[in-house]
Parts: sequence; C-alpha cells; structure tokens
Amino acid sequence: MGVIIGPRVIDAGASLFSVLISPVAVAAGFPSPAQDYFDGRIDLNAHLIKDITSTYVVRVTGSSMEGAGISDGDELIVNRALEPKDGSVVVAVLDGELTVKRLRITPTGVILQAENPKYPDIRVAALSELTIWGVATRCLHHV
Amino acid sequence: MARPAIMRQMPQIAHVDVNCFYASAERAFDPSLEGRPLVVLSNNDGCAVTRSPEAKALGIATGEPWFKLAPRAKEWGLVARSSNYELYGDISARVMELLGRYSAWLEVYSIDEAFLGVKGEPDQLLALGHRMKDAVRRSVGVPVCVGIAPTKTLAKLCNKWAKNNAAFGGVCLWDCVPPEARDGLMARLPVAEIWGIAGRLSNRLNGIGIFTVLDLVRADPVAIRDKFSVVLMRTVLELRGTACIPMEEERIGRDQLIFSRSFATPVTTAAGLREVLSIYGQQASARLSKHGLQAKVLTAYAATSPFRNHEQAYPSVCVSLPMPTADPLLLTKAAHALLPSIRDGLKYAKAGLMLTDLRPTGNQPPLEPFENPHEERRIGPLLEDVSRRFGRGSIGLGHAGIRCGLDWTMKRDMCSPRYTTRWDELPLVKAA
Repeated sequence: MGVIIGPRVIDAGASLFSVLISPVAVAAGFPSPAQDYFDGRIDLNAHLIKDITSTYVVRVTGSSMEGAGISDGDELIVNRALEPKDGSVVVAVLDGELTVKRLRITPTGVILQAENPKYPDIRVAALSELTIWGVATRCLHHV
Repeated sequence: MARPAIMRQMPQIAHVDVNCFYASAERAFDPSLEGRPLVVLSNNDGCAVTRSPEAKALGIATGEPWFKLAPRAKEWGLVARSSNYELYGDISARVMELLGRYSAWLEVYSIDEAFLGVKGEPDQLLALGHRMKDAVRRSVGVPVCVGIAPTKTLAKLCNKWAKNNAAFGGVCLWDCVPPEARDGLMARLPVAEIWGIAGRLSNRLNGIGIFTVLDLVRADPVAIRDKFSVVLMRTVLELRGTACIPMEEERIGRDQLIFSRSFATPVTTAAGLREVLSIYGQQASARLSKHGLQAKVLTAYAATSPFRNHEQAYPSVCVSLPMPTADPLLLTKAAHALLPSIRDGLKYAKAGLMLTDLRPTGNQPPLEPFENPHEERRIGPLLEDVSRRFGRGSIGLGHAGIRCGLDWTMKRDMCSPRYTTRWDELPLVKAA
C-alpha cells in the first residue's frame, strides 16, 4: 500500500488566488527568495490528520464538554474511520442531531457522558443501539 | 479441469456507485434528513435531480419541477435542498481516493461512480466488494453499492441488481448469481435500463421485438451491428461476458464534464504534471465552450501506473472557482491546485479533470474584460510577475476580483452549508 495524498479541499476565491500567485507555481523568471520557506513550513494537515478521506472538522456549540477542555465555539477534528472505544470523545447521532459526548463502555451498559455536571448522562444497553458518527482526535481550543 | 481455474483468474470489473449521491451527501452531515423524503434540486432550484428512496416512494419523478412539489411538501414531510456542488465535489474526491486504495486500476466514470479492475476467486471478490462498501460508508459517510462482473456493462447491471434487491446486501457478483436467476432478472428488466441504451434506441429495439435485457442478450450481435451500430453490438457482446468497452477518457453528462487521459510514458515530476494539467485545463475549457457551458467546481486528480510494482498514489483535490467560468486560464490555475500533492519520483500514469456545477454560459453577465484567449496568455505571466513583486492580492484578473455578486443570478434558497470546504460553514455538533 502506497502513500495516499489529498483530497485537500481548497477554499474558494482566496485559495484560487494563492494558486495564482504561489511562488511554487512560478516556473519561469527569477526564483522567488521566499520559495525555500514554503517547503519547510509546518503543514498542520500532515500532523493533525491521519486519513484525509475519513476526517472532517466540526464546530462545537454548547458547554457540556467543558471538563474535557472542549468549549463552545471550539473545532474538533473527527475521524470517522476510528473504532470508538471506552473513553473516546465521540460525535454521536442523538435525535437527528450530531452531539459530542464521552463514550463509556461498561459491563452494565454503554453511557454517553457529558463532561459537565450540569448535563445528564445518556445510557443505552449496547453500542449497537447508538449511531457513532466519528471519533474526535483533536480539539482546536480557543485560548 | 484447468479451464475454470484460468477463467477465475481473468480480471473482473467492479462498478461502485453511491446510492442517491446528492441526497446521501446531504444526509451525511444532517442526520435529521435520515428516513425522510428528500429531493435535491437542479440549478436555480428548478426541478428534482436526486430523490431519496422515500421521495421515490411518494411517486416523485426525476425532473419534476419544484413549484409543483412545493405546495404538497408539508403534507408529505418532503425536504428539498439546492445543489451544493462544493460539498458533492469534496465527498466525491474522498470516495474516489478511498476506492483507489483497493485497486491499482481505477476509472472515475462520473461524480458518483467508478470502475475498478479487480482479480481473485469469487469469495475473495465478494469480500472485497463488501470491504469497499463498508469503508466508504464508514470513512466518508455515504452508502454505495458494488457490482462485480467480467465486463463493464455487466458490472453496471450487477450494481443495479445490488441496489434493487436487498437480498444481495449491496454487493452483487455476476459469478455468484446462478444462471437461471440471471435470466430471470434480465427478463424482468426493460432494455432501456442497460448502460448506453437511451430512450429512442430502446424504442427502435422494441420495434423489432427486443423489450427486455434478456431479449437483447439473445439477439444476434452481427444482425444488431448491421441494423443499429457497432456500439450496440459491443453492448450485446459485453452482456454475453466479452469485455469490449475500453476505458473512457472523455465524457460530458447532464451535470459534469470529465476529461482524463492515460500517458504513454509515465510522468514523474510535479513540473511535468503541471504541463499536463495546463493542457487539460485548456482542452476542458474548449469542451465547455463548445457546449455553451461554464463550471463552478473543478476536481483534479492523478493516479500512478497500475501495472508497475511501485508505490501507488491517487491524489485528488476539489476547487471551488470564484465564479462560473470556462476561462482556460482560470481552469488551468485551479487544476494546478493538485500540484502540491504530487510527489516527484512517483510514476504517474493518468490525470484528469472533472468539472461540475455546470450552467449555460448565458447565465453570466458579460463582465469578462479578457475575452481573447491570446490576450490571456500574455496576461497570465504578467499577473504572476506583478503578484510576486508586489504581493498577493496586488493584482488579479479583472473578473477574479468579483468573488460574489455573480451567483445572485442563481437561485439557491435551500442550500445546505458547504460543510467540508468553508471554515465558517463547518458542521455544528451539540455539546448539550
């Protein structure tokens, strides 16, 4: 199995523009002195996203996950391909909505836990009763 | 006894197709749409182009105008969405890249379907089909069905069976369907359901007593060629298990234009692929112009050679153009967005462009100051030069500056967020 690159989605107007003017894309003329920096910069995609085909970014609304360091307005990197495990922060489908919770798998049942005492837990008998949309791997917390 | 073993070693073709693609892409980010009748509307919110199974069950036909459906929507619980091509383009690119991991031979046939070359014993092929189906559903979030057969036409047919018969579990392998069952299924399928047989041709076939797929299979290929065309003869041969439809390299459909080529000699550098993409950009522009169309979303992809024993890669990128365009310069520059994903040293054997969100040229006000392509060719390097010296945004194509204000001509009142391509439109998850 080889290395898979992309698909990277390029943001509309702005990035088309960056395609237009990126020093990397300039074939002729004098070489840009900035060119070397472009190769060396940290690529967050490379470090934060393991599989680009199964990874989505979502935005959190609400404060029930404060205890896990996930606040209202933070972005989560969610990998749909990961196996949800006990302790995973998951995006689950609850009443037709995407909801973020801590997954607890115990001998007596499965719990979707809030990380904020003000919010109740949700209990089900088995994992199969839940639709897990994906597993959060990172939180982009606003500090 | 050697023969069956050799037969089983023959390469087969898998056809993978997303179920109700646009509707499924909408549901992937809005689970409240699950189980509800849903239609996705054409440009300008004109008519239903994709229907969820629930919408089909209501008797809604493809192409039914929204103004006729809208009054009854509430009563039916029917939801409509405007076409969100940025979302569909990105989901498509993810599906194709994922499928590329399962076969070294992948032909992107349209925004939501692909052919893959596969090999193996029937049980291995069946298992492969299920693995692909499960991976796309789980990783990307959309459901697919898989048909696997010795020819493209049969693979498409198997896919149809897989979609329409729950007993197949989403994967239908031609070799695993008993011959009597095949005949039964083909006898129930009108000939118009076969790939490549459009309305008028099926009427003519009906005229000579060919009504079902089985009738066509039993027709004499030579007589079919003489009465109709060599193309239809190929269809008959394909239905009989002889592969004769080659890889398609160019295709314009209702809502997309695909332009791809395999290279005689592999391209091994980003610089080489840059040239290739430039040529494709110009050629795709010419095709669009010829059909009086402009595109708003472009997907560029490349693939390494399937026949060599080396590292494989299937990079792909989806670019939203700042405005609907057939401009060769803009299309070329957008296609170059693939280049950062190209790794020098890998042997690329194929590249392609897919243009979606097509609309007639007439929709756009005449705002293009650079209409002469010869002029554009000189303008390009000039732009790059000025930008390089004075910084990003210091100069741009006259029309590139107009980011919005053109789309107002296009009605998209019921468009979902561009969940995967815009930072300010990310899917929301509740922490409550």
